[in-house]
Amino acid sequence: MRESTIMKIHYGTALAAVALVAVHILMRLTMGFAESLEYESVLANYKFIPYAAMLELILILLSIHGFNGLRVILLELKQGRVYEKAVSYGCLAAMFGLIAYGSRTIIMTNMGMI
Amino acid sequence: MTQDEHKEGIKGMANPGRYGIERVAYWLMRLSGLGLLAYFVAHIYETSNILRGQVGWDEFLELTQTTEGHLFLAIVIAMCVFHTVNGIRVMLGHGGIGVGKPARPDYPYDPASQNYRHKIGIYSAIILAAIAMMYGLAVMFGE
Repeated sequence: MRESTIMKIHYGTALAAVALVAVHILMRLTMGFAESLEYESVLANYKFIPYAAMLELILILLSIHGFNGLRVILLELKQGRVYEKAVSYGCLAAMFGLIAYGSRTIIMTNMGMI
Repeated sequence: MTQDEHKEGIKGMANPGRYGIERVAYWLMRLSGLGLLAYFVAHIYETSNILRGQVGWDEFLELTQTTEGHLFLAIVIAMCVFHTVNGIRVMLGHGGIGVGKPARPDYPYDPASQNYRHKIGIYSAIILAAIAMMYGLAVMFGE
């Protein structure tokens, strides 16, 4: 993929994530901070499908943005055909790994598999 | 650039005290990005503890809902706000907004893109990050 396309994805995921993370943080402030972190409250959040879908979206957006950012930083430090391929595929693998791990939590909690 | 500056290599390039606030913003953007990625990975792991049931969740909350945990979260809030505001400044700059019109380079060769608009953007990002950190501390310790 062209770097210009990747940067457009980088900026797009950033803007979308800012809006959704703002909603995620505001949800913590609808009640007391400590109260919002109580087990029943967090469980209720996960069981509410629109909120769970938003969490999944945040997970995907931030994983793409975060690991692409890491890739950019690592490519700034050093260049080379093998190094660049290793960094790109390594970041891609880490991104998919994190999305899979986070999705497992969201899906299992939403479906009551605790 | 003088011969001496070349001799410093990466150390010279990385020096945040040289080349103005833009270089400081460059470093803060990367450090906050790495910090936020580390926090994001930790947060995904932290929230996965809900699968261990109420006991597992409460055990993990005891570890994170401490004074040190709240101070750490306040730093995360500051990093998040700085990264967001400075990121928007960078995006606008890449889009050609606020970087000035192309012109013939004349002595003393001041880069048109490093103008007061972007400096204000960087300082605003730092100030907003500090305010958000204070607000976060008030919310977390105010209970």
